[in-house]
Amino acid sequence: MYKAITISQGSGGWGGPLTIMPTDICNKIVSVTGGGIHPVAAKIAEMTGCEAIDGFTKSVPDDQILVAVVDCGGTARCGVYPKKKIFTVNLTPVGKVGPLAQYITENLYVSAVTESCLRYAGEGAILTSKEGLVAAGTGPRTAHSEPKTKAQARAEIAAMNVNKKRNIITRLGIGVGGVVNKFYQAGRETIDMVVKTILPFMAFVSMIIGIIKVSGIGNLIANTISPLASTLPGMLVISVVCSLPFISPVLGPGAVIAQVVGTLLGVEFGLGHIPAQYALPALFAINGQVGCDFVPVGLSLGEADPETIEMGVPAVLYSRLITGPLAVIIAYFFSFGMY
Amino acid sequence: MELLAGLANGFMELFKAGAETFAGWVAGIIPLIVVLMTAVSAVIKLIGEERVQSLAQKATKNIITRYTILPILSVLFLGNPMCYSFGRFVEEKHKPAFYDATVSFLHPVTGLFPHANGGELFVYMGIAAGITKLGLPLGDLAVRYFLVGIIIIFIRGIVTEKIYTSMKAKAK
Repeated sequence: MYKAITISQGSGGWGGPLTIMPTDICNKIVSVTGGGIHPVAAKIAEMTGCEAIDGFTKSVPDDQILVAVVDCGGTARCGVYPKKKIFTVNLTPVGKVGPLAQYITENLYVSAVTESCLRYAGEGAILTSKEGLVAAGTGPRTAHSEPKTKAQARAEIAAMNVNKKRNIITRLGIGVGGVVNKFYQAGRETIDMVVKTILPFMAFVSMIIGIIKVSGIGNLIANTISPLASTLPGMLVISVVCSLPFISPVLGPGAVIAQVVGTLLGVEFGLGHIPAQYALPALFAINGQVGCDFVPVGLSLGEADPETIEMGVPAVLYSRLITGPLAVIIAYFFSFGMY
Repeated sequence: MELLAGLANGFMELFKAGAETFAGWVAGIIPLIVVLMTAVSAVIKLIGEERVQSLAQKATKNIITRYTILPILSVLFLGNPMCYSFGRFVEEKHKPAFYDATVSFLHPVTGLFPHANGGELFVYMGIAAGITKLGLPLGDLAVRYFLVGIIIIFIRGIVTEKIYTSMKAKAK
């Protein structure tokens, strides 16, 4: 017996509320959180009568996923499922951000969800439509649709003019217009990226760095991590730790940890505590876990079969145990003669 | 009263160092990134994803190009996270290896082409900031990071392909 439930946003969250009801086909709750099925996913499954599935060990075809539960910090996963028009529950308080922000809409996505945000939908409650509100559109969406209508208008005019031969000036004008438009769009996307992801990251890390510098934790790091990062064996240790199959998926999300560690090491490089030529192997040592959190999602974006995903996840994780330290060694030899 | 004022000063000191770092980054990193990202992504838009697809298709056949050319094209033209969608061109048994190669290129690419992964620049940028502080040029580091990246994604592709094949054989 399936039941309809309503999922509303938690404190600091965004999107929703989603009122959802499983069907005979669409009745799986996929937990793409790492470390087993998250309690929120389990609770949703229990309330609706669906089956909860760990997205890391088992894969589910898109049309059977009722809800995807993710713990994305705002880079990729939070946008991937809305892009596929799958209801997405994010456990972290993240709004409409990341490279796929345009797909994150209030009728597909809800964030900062905890178990207390779930309740049974009342009798006759209206189910959230995946399509309905999209047409109504929010700010960025209308911005995107504007150039499209212009393009449509242009296409219509082009169709009308099809029999008339265009003179060279008209063709040149249209060509230049197209190029300028692409440059403008590139600029808009870049500024969007700077404001939505780069600047917030700078704010967060510079605050941490400031506190570390003033509070004296900096000296602690200089005395422990710097010696470790300034020898080849030390860096191998770092890369092995980062590549351990049970640690790597946890370190991965949004590359936040790699970025913070990179920035902290950068400070040590700047102070001369670590020799400059070690920059190259260090870049690989701190990043042995890259993408280990994202294997099932990345594979499904590549249209891999569920069986491939099931076995592909451990294959990638085990492979890193070999290639993680190997990357450091290769980078170490390639750093000779630099600086 | 004096004690309170002293506390307040100490409190503000805690954040002044952070503010300096922030101002340095915004003034030193953002202008170049903005112009570079705009230029490169405009060029990529002009070339267009469609035109790369046939090349991508050809690159899947051969084990060397499958884990070098194909991931590079997908990362440069589609960026994070849509680059994995080029996985649809490769055979089912090669998909995990292709994923591993592609994801491992997402940071080596940022030294030269930050547009491809603008949200995760600081893996490279953080360390590069320290090198800049020493007064050393970054070109060498960026180019070597890119080239070593290519070698490593190739090795990752092969190793993961082998592990996946043997796991699959065992499962049967």
